[in-house]
Amino acid sequence: MEDFTSSTGQTSGQPPVSTTKQPTGQNLGVAALITAIVTFVLAVIPCVGLIAIIPGIIAIVLASVGLSQASRNDAPRGLLIAGLIIAAVATMISFSQIFVAGRISDKFKNKWGNDFENVINDVQENVLNELEDANVSIKIESNGEKVEINTSVNKKNREQQLEELEETDSIRKDTLVRKK
Amino acid sequence: MDRFRNEPYLLINLILAGVVILIFIYSGIFSPENNDYPVVCVHEKLTGKQCASCGLSHSFSLIVRGEISEAYNWNVYGLRVFIFFAAQLLMRIIFSIFYLKYPETNNHLITYDIAVSVMLFLVCFMPFIETLVSQFHLVYHKGYGFQNPLIIHTSSACL
Repeated sequence: MEDFTSSTGQTSGQPPVSTTKQPTGQNLGVAALITAIVTFVLAVIPCVGLIAIIPGIIAIVLASVGLSQASRNDAPRGLLIAGLIIAAVATMISFSQIFVAGRISDKFKNKWGNDFENVINDVQENVLNELEDANVSIKIESNGEKVEINTSVNKKNREQQLEELEETDSIRKDTLVRKK
Repeated sequence: MDRFRNEPYLLINLILAGVVILIFIYSGIFSPENNDYPVVCVHEKLTGKQCASCGLSHSFSLIVRGEISEAYNWNVYGLRVFIFFAAQLLMRIIFSIFYLKYPETNNHLITYDIAVSVMLFLVCFMPFIETLVSQFHLVYHKGYGFQNPLIIHTSSACL
């Protein structure tokens, strides 16, 4: 475990010396450790863990930079190593959550896409079939006067109407031709 | 102030306490009545099923406002997680005071702090850890084969 007291040059039982020079990379180590702890707590929570990869990477970068500085100056590295390990584990948990979410979305995108298309097509067909043979009734009430319009949009009726119209139209055309 | 700069443990405690206070402020700002929480559940969006952490923000907001029974309805584990954060806030303050008062026990204090924090974390977050493990197991080994409730709902509505 990191000896927090020895890093400042302070021995147990003695008051701290404010003029002591801070070891290289210690501030980075503190930042990395805090970011790593927060990332770890976030990474464990389902769904929230998906965004934990961002602070996780930040913590790894901070710890890595701090470690390189500390190794150059031969400074204590306990905090930095702790931060790096926690950040790496948290990032892995977060990454596993992203992987799981990706697999679920892939699975449901393929499966749901077809299912939804089928459901929508079925609904569309049902609605069209029902509407084709529907009897529409419109009731209007205004100032005590009632008007009721009943109409049937039956497929057969419509075909008959169309035929009738075609017949009358052809007769008109015929008469017109005869007049000429 | 110099003491905080020279003592990483105190600095870490101070910042972590600040983070916990920020979480409580977040819970206080966003209210369940307005339902304006910025975090959206990806699992619910993808599958139509609620995950273990759904309603956690609502739960926290309600606990902060003292409505614990209603908070329990929003998320069963909300209170556990809230206790973890509240305990951490208290621990940061108490351990910092001990650290300053009894410098000869500093190393032991840090060891106890780490041990208690890890234990508390495991106890409070165990349902989430179990959920993550089971989800990973489902996806990686068995495939995600549960029935989609949205399709069942749509089909029954059509029928």
